[in-house]
Amino acid sequence: MKRFAWIVLAAGTLMAGQDNTFLLRNATVYPVSGPKIENATILVVGGKIVEVGAKVTPPKGKIKIVEGKGLQVYPGMIDSGSPIGLSEISSVRETNDVGELGDFNPQLRSIIAVNPESEHIPVVRANGITSVMVLPGSGNGLVYGQISLMHLSGWTWEEMEIRRGAALQMRWPTYTMGGRGGGGGRGGAAGGGMAEAKRVHDQQVKLIQEFFEQARAYQLAKAAGTPGLKPDLKLEAMIPVLEGKLPVMITVAREREIKEAVEWAVKEKLKIVLAGVRRPGKMTEELAKRKIPVILGSTFEVPLEEDDPYDEVFSLPGELQKAGVKIAFASFGVQFARNLPYQAAQAVPFGLPYDEALKSVTLNAAEIWGVADQYGSIEKGKWADLIVTDGDPLEVKTSVRMMFVKGEPVDLESKHTRLYKKYMARP
Amino acid sequence: MRILTIGALSATLCLTAGFAQDVTVIQNATIHTVTKGTMKGSIVIRDGKIAEVGEKVMTPSGARVIDAAGKHVIPGIIDCHTHIAVDAINEGSVSVSSMVGVGDVVNSEGKDIYRALAGGVTTANVLHGSANAIGGKNVLLKMRWGKDADALVFQEAMPSIKFALGENPKRAGQATGFQAPGAQQNLRYPGTRMGVEDVIREAFLHAQEYQKEWKAYEAKKSKGEAALPPRRDLQMEPLVEVLEGKRLVHAHCYRADEILMLLRVADEFHFKIATLQHVLEGYKLAKEIAAAGVGASTFSDWWSYKVEAYDAIPYNAAIMHKKGVLVSLNSDDAGGAELMRRLNTEAGKMAKYGGLTEDEALAMITINPAKQLRIDQYVGSIETGKQADLVIYDKDPLSIYSKVEKVFIDGTQYFDREKDLEERPRQDARKKGLLEKEKETEKRNAPQSRRPS
Amino acid sequence: MLLKSLSLFLLAGAAFLPLQAEPPSLIAIQDARIITVSGAVLEKGTVVLRDGIIADVGAAIIIPKGAWVVDGKGLTVYPGLIDGFSTWGIPDGAPVAAPTGGRAAVAVPAPAGTPAPARSQGPADRPGTNSWVTAADLVKTSDRRLDAARGAGFTSAATFPRPGLVGGHGALVNLAGENAGRMVVEPGIGLLLSMGGGGYTGYPSSLMGMFSYYRQLWIDAEHYKLNKEMYAQSPATIERPGYDRALEGVLAAKKVFLPAAGPMQLERALKLAAELKATPVIYGAVEGYRMAAVLKKTATPVILNVKWPVKDREADPERIDSIRTLELRDKAPESPAALVAAGVKFAVSSDGIDNPKDVIKALKRSIDLGLKKEDALRALTLSAAEIHGVGARLGSIDKGKIANLVVTNGDLFDDKTKVQMVFIDGVKYLPPPETPPAPRGGAAPSAPGNETQEEVEH
Repeated sequence: MKRFAWIVLAAGTLMAGQDNTFLLRNATVYPVSGPKIENATILVVGGKIVEVGAKVTPPKGKIKIVEGKGLQVYPGMIDSGSPIGLSEISSVRETNDVGELGDFNPQLRSIIAVNPESEHIPVVRANGITSVMVLPGSGNGLVYGQISLMHLSGWTWEEMEIRRGAALQMRWPTYTMGGRGGGGGRGGAAGGGMAEAKRVHDQQVKLIQEFFEQARAYQLAKAAGTPGLKPDLKLEAMIPVLEGKLPVMITVAREREIKEAVEWAVKEKLKIVLAGVRRPGKMTEELAKRKIPVILGSTFEVPLEEDDPYDEVFSLPGELQKAGVKIAFASFGVQFARNLPYQAAQAVPFGLPYDEALKSVTLNAAEIWGVADQYGSIEKGKWADLIVTDGDPLEVKTSVRMMFVKGEPVDLESKHTRLYKKYMARP
Repeated sequence: MRILTIGALSATLCLTAGFAQDVTVIQNATIHTVTKGTMKGSIVIRDGKIAEVGEKVMTPSGARVIDAAGKHVIPGIIDCHTHIAVDAINEGSVSVSSMVGVGDVVNSEGKDIYRALAGGVTTANVLHGSANAIGGKNVLLKMRWGKDADALVFQEAMPSIKFALGENPKRAGQATGFQAPGAQQNLRYPGTRMGVEDVIREAFLHAQEYQKEWKAYEAKKSKGEAALPPRRDLQMEPLVEVLEGKRLVHAHCYRADEILMLLRVADEFHFKIATLQHVLEGYKLAKEIAAAGVGASTFSDWWSYKVEAYDAIPYNAAIMHKKGVLVSLNSDDAGGAELMRRLNTEAGKMAKYGGLTEDEALAMITINPAKQLRIDQYVGSIETGKQADLVIYDKDPLSIYSKVEKVFIDGTQYFDREKDLEERPRQDARKKGLLEKEKETEKRNAPQSRRPS
Repeated sequence: MLLKSLSLFLLAGAAFLPLQAEPPSLIAIQDARIITVSGAVLEKGTVVLRDGIIADVGAAIIIPKGAWVVDGKGLTVYPGLIDGFSTWGIPDGAPVAAPTGGRAAVAVPAPAGTPAPARSQGPADRPGTNSWVTAADLVKTSDRRLDAARGAGFTSAATFPRPGLVGGHGALVNLAGENAGRMVVEPGIGLLLSMGGGGYTGYPSSLMGMFSYYRQLWIDAEHYKLNKEMYAQSPATIERPGYDRALEGVLAAKKVFLPAAGPMQLERALKLAAELKATPVIYGAVEGYRMAAVLKKTATPVILNVKWPVKDREADPERIDSIRTLELRDKAPESPAALVAAGVKFAVSSDGIDNPKDVIKALKRSIDLGLKKEDALRALTLSAAEIHGVGARLGSIDKGKIANLVVTNGDLFDDKTKVQMVFIDGVKYLPPPETPPAPRGGAAPSAPGNETQEEVEH
């Protein structure tokens, strides 16, 4: 764990409050938005990238220099879905704030429950992940709440916030046999077979449709200035969704349900992003055609069915990408969230081009979540969310040597490195 | 030079013996022997064993030659902790389930065997679960996909047994949820870590008594006295074997306190633990573990999934290794063989988490687990005389961009990615055919439903 | 057609004559087609039954004086069919243990009124071990299923007590008799071991636990036996063994019946049997087509479950079954032919089949796939008798054998054929009147109504 040193040009004094202004030089820069630049310099002023290139004129006066010789610079990576900050020890209920009661909770905002002192935050960012879509929900509900996009750095959740409501998280009802999962408490198609599974599914779809109708009525009533309209937090939160401004991330895995969800969303004129897609089948083309992006879950899963090829999960990202679907990755968990880059990399030997793998954890995610004007690549005008590595950040042996969030240097120590040092030193 | 001579000799031998047809030569590969460095060269496989390894070897004419130019060869991966290929994992009804063994229920048809194989795993330690302080007997399998259960067993291996400490074995002893006053829950002792120690000590105390009973009987018998032999007790027998050093102990554990406890209990009863499994706080106790000569088989970067895993760190393997503990990395896979497909990259992470060398990292999934399982004289490295368990990768095996191309066990090729790919359309066609046939059959056998209206 | 059904009607009418209080002890079936199973088919022969025994059979038999004569014209006489693995005769016997064992093992509830047993803490508690129970003690003439079984042509069954790990000792019974005791042909045909079982909690709770439990049980039985022997020799120095009915039951077992769904379970079962030094008979064998070679090599008889696996109608139509499952459904009905080809001795079982006629229908499907009729028949008769050790007394139409016969109006495996009567111990029984089965879930009445439907069509 070699720590980096600040090299201060000229007079050698740091300018107070100017931590987010510096010149990173002599590094190989991978902007993601364009080809790599050898021996490049990045000028960051006030946390924003002002210039990047092989020839960057340093500004006049004193400026911090960050020496990047032998190192590589990438945009910070984005995890498109994790309950980080809301879940500490997955098996201990009290440490989990995921999955509120009730079917419809569009008014909930995940970030306000994020514990900035979660031990997971430094652990995850040490692998080059600078921001996360924080998932509020899982389990039995239908519309879980609003996903916040946040930085993995800050003293308070307010400081970490990029976008409080970046998307609405919901799940599409499944056909669940044998009373497990699905409808949860009510889902109990206990041994009822397909007929019962369908009944539960249809009932849940109906609930969703009714809720959206209700929201639509509220939206109209509000627009019309209907007197006596009682304010309703749930329905109020639905307005940007109905206006197509707030994307909806829908968890849905298989072709039939994907078809249902897409048809429904088209009818409702929603902007949707699918998550956890595993078996899109013929819907792949439809997703490409309709430009519906897909957030892939972990590639570290067993094949869905017995007859599936052993590499079924590894090949899916490449297949979607080839068909023209925009993909990004999410850890959908906390424990292995730091392995996000490897999720993407695992798909490379099985058909996903390397550049696309890199994009899927950077620029694609920023585009999908509507922040590509500020994040996701190393480009002039964007925030300086940067990682400086000793190699390819998607490769398991690579270490992240420095990290900047909005140009501010971020500590890469964690509970893990602290315990490492402590016990290496045990006599 | 010496290698060359031996090579020439063995080549001559097989030619004269007419064995050339059974010889396979992997040529022009980057060979990671693990124990003897990495070289560009060839491996000669004969009679299921590695006949020769070297930069220049003699190739008998008629041998099957695999040109592995640009490819990498490593010894078959050994996964020291899995629960694959069995129809039962836990006998959770009792605190000491040493009478049962997963070897009785090996599922030789489980697809997980093939998937593990496709990830380069050639040997898997299949363990009983962790529901009991003293669990059941384990079985060591080679991933000889397609063979029946008996033929999967690693014949030369020592038998072993599972122990478990901490949260899992005490779970059945802890009341859950709200209790009506006076309500009796069907709790199983123990419910604390103290109780776990007690169960183990008591079991070994009984085992010692059982051992004495038999010795007394043997003594009587040798004197010619008529005596009824003691009742054979299948629960006690494996524990006596542990006491006699004939059965290895693989102990599931997390926290440093419980690990230390077990080391001391083993001292008390004069037996040795073969491996501590998971051992996520092993780094806190590396000195003691190293001193006890006990192996540690851990995860690369798992943590926080339960309280006893909250101090787990990805540097665990490196710290233990640097402090003299024999360390391996395992998958703990059950059913699906997920992580088994990529133990190579789990090892690859060791470069980052503690700065281990390539050989040190590879050793953690090959020769180290072989040593822990006492099979290192047969497998675990690419050395002359060892069983030809080999994996060919297209790239650096520690890189996430590499994939397994071919896997050999005992010199027989059990996995070939090319063949796997070729087979896929055929499988699809077969499935389609079966589905169509079933539809036809259904139509034919359906009762006539045409009735007059 | 008209003629045939007319004669059929006449016969049936005759058969419905009330039975005498004292059934005749001398009966001759004259001029019938006789399928002896053990020998050649007699196209026109006579079989004479005297005092419950087949007194004579042949083409040119002189009917003894005083015999009640059945005009066998248009009739076929077969040996009475034997269900190789059943609960018939034990009124609380159904539902049955999982026929497949292993993966598909299903727990069986203990009979009503059984007190909840204490949680088993280990082998010493003898969990679910009913080895002292014998089917011969449990059979009753009042089992309502016997009527239907006879109606399908069955006259005997190997019947087993089911609940528990060790169900108990099976018995070869006739499916009718003056009283329960008279039903029993052979009381101890072997001990039933399950790999599911129920009626106990605690140890063993896993499949592997069952293996280790059986091992310990047999070790204990051997030790008990040794203890008894040594005690008998020197009661002064050897401790007196405590009487243990469970171990007595194990020691009494001539054979063990072990479940095996496929080759994997077969491998396990054969290994276990070898360890127990017990003679195994395999039941289930749903993947019999894959087991034939090993069964042959090890000379292990098998009782084939002919409830062929079918597609789960409750399943999600979009979830396509695996090749393995599809193949199982495709190939299972070919199992009998595969066993014949390999030379494996097998019987068939009604396990899991509600309507006994469906056993024959299931075999008909195998016949359509290439099984020879005579091989199907042998499995239903002589092979079953041989496997259960009563081959000298049952299973074929031979002089001296027990007079168990089934008389039909045509080929047994023909859908249109009806059982006219059966003889058990020489006593005539009539099939129950056919009532269409209660419709299930609104669906049209299936299988047994075939003939009716055809008549309606005309």
